[in-house]
Amino acid sequence: MQRDKFFKEVDNLHHPNETLVRTHCSYCGMQCGMNLRVNTKTNKIIGVEPRYDWPVTVGKMCPKGVTAYQQTNHDDRLLKPLIRDDKSLKGTKLGFREASWEEAYEHIVKNFQKLQKDYGKDSLSVFSGVSMTNEKCYLTGKFARVALGTRYIDYNGRFCMSSAAGGFLRSFGVDRGSTLPWTDIHETDCLFIAGSNTAECHPTSMFRIWNVQERGGYLIVADPRETPIARRADVHLDLRPGTDLALANGILNLLIENGFADEEFVQNHTNGFEETKELVKQFTPEYTSEITGVAPEKIIRAAELYGKAPNAVVMFARGIEQQHKGVDNVSAYTNMALVTGKIGRAKSGVATFTGQGNGQGGREHGQKSDLLPGYRKITNPDHVKEVCQFWGITPEEMPKPGVSAYEMFELMDQKVIRGLYLLCSNPAVSAPNLNFVRNAMKNLDFMVCSDFYLSESAEFADVILPTVTWSEDEGTVTNLEGRIIKINKAQEPLGESKPDWQIQVELAERLGKGKYFSHLKTARDVADEFRGATKGGYADYSGATWEKIEKQDGVFWPCKSEEHKGTPHMFLDKKFYHPDGKAKICALPYRPPAEEPCEQYPLRLTTGRVVYHYLSGNQTRRIQFLRDMCPEPYVEVHPETAKKYNIEHEERVRLFTRRGEATYKVKITEAIRSDTVFVPYHFGHEESINLLTNPALDPMSRMPEFKACAAQIEKQSVKKV
Amino acid sequence: MKKRLYLELENCIGCRSCLAACTQCGGHEERNRNYVYDVNPLVNRQTMPLMCLHCVNPACARSCPAQAIQIHETGAVLSALVEKCIGCQNCTIACPYGIPKFDTEQNLMYKCDLCIDRTKDGIPPMCASVCPSNTLQWLTDEEIEAKQKQFNLDNGKWVTSLPYLESETNVRVNLPGILQGVTKLF
Repeated sequence: MQRDKFFKEVDNLHHPNETLVRTHCSYCGMQCGMNLRVNTKTNKIIGVEPRYDWPVTVGKMCPKGVTAYQQTNHDDRLLKPLIRDDKSLKGTKLGFREASWEEAYEHIVKNFQKLQKDYGKDSLSVFSGVSMTNEKCYLTGKFARVALGTRYIDYNGRFCMSSAAGGFLRSFGVDRGSTLPWTDIHETDCLFIAGSNTAECHPTSMFRIWNVQERGGYLIVADPRETPIARRADVHLDLRPGTDLALANGILNLLIENGFADEEFVQNHTNGFEETKELVKQFTPEYTSEITGVAPEKIIRAAELYGKAPNAVVMFARGIEQQHKGVDNVSAYTNMALVTGKIGRAKSGVATFTGQGNGQGGREHGQKSDLLPGYRKITNPDHVKEVCQFWGITPEEMPKPGVSAYEMFELMDQKVIRGLYLLCSNPAVSAPNLNFVRNAMKNLDFMVCSDFYLSESAEFADVILPTVTWSEDEGTVTNLEGRIIKINKAQEPLGESKPDWQIQVELAERLGKGKYFSHLKTARDVADEFRGATKGGYADYSGATWEKIEKQDGVFWPCKSEEHKGTPHMFLDKKFYHPDGKAKICALPYRPPAEEPCEQYPLRLTTGRVVYHYLSGNQTRRIQFLRDMCPEPYVEVHPETAKKYNIEHEERVRLFTRRGEATYKVKITEAIRSDTVFVPYHFGHEESINLLTNPALDPMSRMPEFKACAAQIEKQSVKKV
Repeated sequence: MKKRLYLELENCIGCRSCLAACTQCGGHEERNRNYVYDVNPLVNRQTMPLMCLHCVNPACARSCPAQAIQIHETGAVLSALVEKCIGCQNCTIACPYGIPKFDTEQNLMYKCDLCIDRTKDGIPPMCASVCPSNTLQWLTDEEIEAKQKQFNLDNGKWVTSLPYLESETNVRVNLPGILQGVTKLF
């Protein structure tokens, strides 16, 4: 048990006729500890009580976490399978009728089998998500490859964590989102945070981050907006959206020039220094300033503080990752730690703020188009052999690698993919270039959606399967530290809803693949098989038993045996995961965003979250408190820009790009660059900002460029009296 | 060991988790009883909570003609007693901080009771339990004093609540800010 200075010995308030179920939040990668209050007479979840003894968050929760329990028994829950016979109603909420599970399964199997018979195995696709347990993520990968036999499986992490994964793999040879535990963060001397609106997206990190400053340490924030965390930063690098690579190169150049490179570390534990040093030379503060729009003094000051700090942590999030050079951005900021040797020890390192609850674990175990359990590669014949042996299939039966999330919609548009099984995701809001994506979903021959609410994406489905919320099932999740934790069941599934693993087992049986799935009768069965499947992989979970997770407040992977305690700090032995044991310092030439402002579209549009909503808002928009706090999207505009366009606070304006348009209420604020506008992305239908965003993909991670595109504002015609 | 609510205003990130948590306290009928303000919304993202300070000699109670506002032995100034409150709203006018809220349908004042069903047993109130930024904390007098010393504000700038407005309060506020007086590490 790790107990730091924030931990306090506090009892919980325990009402009569209530039990407290220890678990974690359903939302972001922080996975804050919480107790769900369950009425012992009705056996229903009725509230929340802080979990003071959870070492990472010590009882703290954001407003989403406090109200998360209200999802479970919400009036909008889907309680029975729904079938829609009239295909002309696709794209609406209309035409669904209730059906039995048996009828729904029969309907699905009939349509799946017909499509595969007529158009081949790969005419089906699976699109999943990582707001579900490791066990479910694992089984979804197995279901696609073994039960459906299709190569086309991918997941919403392509819109979230894939650039971080790609960057870490290139720099370190391994992708664990944080090289150190969160309980180290408040003890470091300098935090360099790029592209993370931490106070809104990962609020329960804030007490540790503020404590760095309270101790006399420094906070540097790179963000086009003066977010709540940037407002209090010692240095706010207010860069243009999409110019991170220049900023990171500029800072690296100063670190090297001013003698902050750790020569011993660079010599013994890294490759690529000389080449990188040469490349970044051109990124003088003046040149960097020209590209990024950040004043040279600020760049110099930031480099000086990071360089001088005895310990420092570089952190980043979607701001730098959701770009068509997201992987390069990750490696470029990681370079700062590698060149100065501020990694591989306590209180120093690199971390990404994982967006989704299981963004870390969910990407490791085979629901990504090119991955198999334990972070094995589907392109590596040895890896394929290991997994095939475990699953009891032949390597010939293993499908080939598929394509990334956005590219699946392109294949739907081309009628290569004709059927879709969508679960745990709402791409009709969260994918870029939505006019195209929604049309691709509308034109599918057959679509199944599993969700606990009727999401915007479910409106395109032929069959909707009612699944459970996180509180009605159990399993493990890997939080943003790389710590495997346990989600516990607090209530029986509402109505006829079922957990996704059970749905997949029952579907597999009806598809004639029961022998690979029928032994999975409980969540625990799936967990045991899942741990076995990861054994020997990079992300080895085989030693992370539920008992060990309970006993030591989670287990950090890798954890290769029952005796092994896990690995809170990575690279303490200065051994990285590339074959020669060295990390790679990467020389990365600057590339501008895929779409730069022009005369027709002179503004830079960037998108992000607000504290009250999570991802596509399918969950949080239904929670009264959260909806009251933020009922609709808006566009943030700097007063100078507003003046230029003659628009006022709260006026509705048309915002448009080459791909689409939407109407938003104006929010005037000085806390944004005057060349940039911002819209939160949690909203559906005609309010979705993703109607406007650019699907330009990163060449490695296939991450779309949500964070920078060219846009224009138009004043609406004068209101009629 | 008596603990107090302690506010570090400079930490506030405007998440309003305190308000969400307030609705979750058993005795609060799912209504939040405090406030978080955008200090200057057209300019920046600064926010601050406005919590009941639980005055030692509270104006709300003094102004109440029906003695509906009781003071608990812990010092918490309680919400109006349903059976005594006459709905005159004197308290809402008397409070210099504008804390008491009024329910016109029930003709009843309601306000922060410092989660009395928790704090009477030494369990922190919901707002301070969940506050992600440590703007709201639940501390002993010794811990509060240590903070005061740590920041070494020997310039008369450390203010809790004395001598402003309503004299002594049970809640302590750190003004002007936690970062003033911090010595940088390097």
